[in-house]
Amino acid sequence: MVDPRSRLALACGAAGAVVATGGALALVGEYLLLWGLIGFWHRGGRYLRWLRLVVPMALFFGVLSGWAAGALAQGGVAALKLLSLTTVFFIFFEATAPEDLGNSLVAAGLPFAVAFVFSAALQFAPVIGRKAHRVIEAQRSRGIPLEPGWAALRHWPALLAPLLIQTFTLADELAEAMEARGFSRPGRTFCRDYRMQPVDWLIVAAGAGLLPAAIVWL
Amino acid sequence: MSQPLLIQTSNLGFTYGRGDRQPALSDIDLEAGRDRYLLIAGASGSGKSTLCRAFNGLIPHFYTGRLVGRVLVDGADTRALSVGRLFHRVGMVFQNPEAQLFNRTVAREIAFGLESLGLKRDDIHRRVTEAAAAAGIEDLLERFPHHLSGGEQQLTAVAAILALRPRVLILDEPFANLDPVATARLRRVLAKIGRQGHSHLVVCEHRLSLTAPDADRMVVVCQGRIAADGPPASVLSKDVRPWALEPPLAAGASLCLGLRPVILDVEKLPLTGDAKLRLADLLPSPPATGGEGEVLLSVDQVGAHCEQRPVLRDVSFKLRRGEIVALVGANGAGKTTLARHLNGLMRPGKGRVVVCGRDTRRVPTSSLARQVGLVFQNPDCQFFKLTVADEIRVGPRALGIEAEDWIALLAERLGLTALMHRAPFRLSGGEKKRVAVAAALASRPEVLVLDEPTAGQDLFFRRALGELLLGWAGEGRGVLMVTHDLGFAERYASRWLVLGDGTIVADGSPARIMADGALLARCGLMATDACRLRSRLEAVDHG
Repeated sequence: MVDPRSRLALACGAAGAVVATGGALALVGEYLLLWGLIGFWHRGGRYLRWLRLVVPMALFFGVLSGWAAGALAQGGVAALKLLSLTTVFFIFFEATAPEDLGNSLVAAGLPFAVAFVFSAALQFAPVIGRKAHRVIEAQRSRGIPLEPGWAALRHWPALLAPLLIQTFTLADELAEAMEARGFSRPGRTFCRDYRMQPVDWLIVAAGAGLLPAAIVWL
Repeated sequence: MSQPLLIQTSNLGFTYGRGDRQPALSDIDLEAGRDRYLLIAGASGSGKSTLCRAFNGLIPHFYTGRLVGRVLVDGADTRALSVGRLFHRVGMVFQNPEAQLFNRTVAREIAFGLESLGLKRDDIHRRVTEAAAAAGIEDLLERFPHHLSGGEQQLTAVAAILALRPRVLILDEPFANLDPVATARLRRVLAKIGRQGHSHLVVCEHRLSLTAPDADRMVVVCQGRIAADGPPASVLSKDVRPWALEPPLAAGASLCLGLRPVILDVEKLPLTGDAKLRLADLLPSPPATGGEGEVLLSVDQVGAHCEQRPVLRDVSFKLRRGEIVALVGANGAGKTTLARHLNGLMRPGKGRVVVCGRDTRRVPTSSLARQVGLVFQNPDCQFFKLTVADEIRVGPRALGIEAEDWIALLAERLGLTALMHRAPFRLSGGEKKRVAVAAALASRPEVLVLDEPTAGQDLFFRRALGELLLGWAGEGRGVLMVTHDLGFAERYASRWLVLGDGTIVADGSPARIMADGALLARCGLMATDACRLRSRLEAVDHG
């Protein structure tokens, strides 16, 4: 299995290459390549669902950039860059479990508490998303018009207050459950071995080479 | 049998926060860990969870507050022992499975505590496999814990602690969110752990029919103090209802039949010819509600998909004025999905739902709130006002309804009058549920839908809610409750809809449905104690 750290290095290199790419055609090529990878791993369905969140953000960013630069084409390039950049990390997190990444970084010297907070934050993002959805449903059921649209903005406390309280409660309960399984006990081991193999170093080298390659050729 | 690990408390008291609140525990003198299965029973907010947190050192190390007296684990004071030194000896499974599963796979979840202990990789893998086998979840090891059913999540949490081989295993309300089949499965797992004797069980629960028959000893906690202590048959020989506990039906029947000590299993009651007469008052008679009134809610051929998977298939039924209907079925049968269709939160992919003449596909949910009130399982989803009174007023204000007199009456009926100026977030679980029910009823909806209204609730709340629902239906409105609590559904619903694999597989009276053993088995249900007792009485009657 490829070490999560080498995957991270490759993802960072690919992200750097996307940022450094100047030509619109090259960007389209990179994006199509990423699509090819997603198709190869059979993650198309999940990617399309994820795009529903990212595309509006990319469009907004593109319009803003285009308006600031006074050129629509530049806005399109900015939107495509953001889309490609987030797609790189979509692929990375589809291929890498957050705790694998965290634990491998611990093996490299990162304190466990820091790595755990990072991996838990990634893991609980969908849980908080589900909680937000439930809050919206509960408030709509009481007659508060939180249906999608600008009108919902007037009722933001009805969404935000319960969501914040639930998030804090979840964090407290989680901390208690972790403590009850020895989270803060020193001397932790891992059920997987995180050791960089020659192939991992090759991948790191490839990742490091992507950025200069993009600067020179794209 | 392993050497027992003795937990001793002497004069234990604890007050949360800066010590200016009511004490959660007072004067607790108790020995735990000697009995194979110790049941700590008490109503919500009685202090049983606090007591368990004191057993494993979370109190005083994790919770701030004022601790008096001592807790000794194998002779050592927990003040001097960190949680990290105790967790593998006194393991604890918490009430909310969602908040104690924090890894990507079930296998990782079980391995987490073993990694904390610094075990070698081979030992970790071996113990993960053993714990999964003990909990019966070997097939779930590579699944994401948050995608499992409530029962599977609870078993995962049990396995994660079992892997540590604790000498005392504490479980806080382990059956709170489980369907009857998952409950039976967890009971079997706990019975097996108890038999094997590696861990001594301490179970906190107020549902005595699920725990008292398996326990060796029962301690009742009421308002932070020990109210009774002894073998379950002896404790249950007295009336436990003043402590907001509902005795198992068999215990009540034993008392009516003059049996001492009481018997805790309906199947073991010795029944004679006159038993039917003597037990007549004990068995709930189904309420005579509705049946012929005007149709309030019509669900017609409704189908729904979730992630390309059919969740509901051709569901059809009608709810009439004055009816209380229970929607029952196993976890994952589609009950909550169906409930969300009833007020337009979900629009049917196929078929239609009509409430009081309004098609849910054409009306926003917030506008349908005038016709349908939906009470969610978790009341924390909705609270955002600073007082209970304002929280209850939210619905009527959003819908432009004047309801001050009605709200005052509701508060009185639900025992909320004294709480109206308190912050809803700071109430106990039972009190929050009552506020949520009041908030749904404040707009006087024609149809009330409740999702698991009794989960984790004690006798007082269950009775108050039951009476309120009967009154609500008696005023000519309709009630539909989604529930695993078949005892409650039997007592207060005149009609059951059984949902299995996304479709209605039975529609009829509780007695008729529970008489069909094959149907119950197919749909993950089990006959209630009352139903089983009734069948035995019928059998005795017919010689």
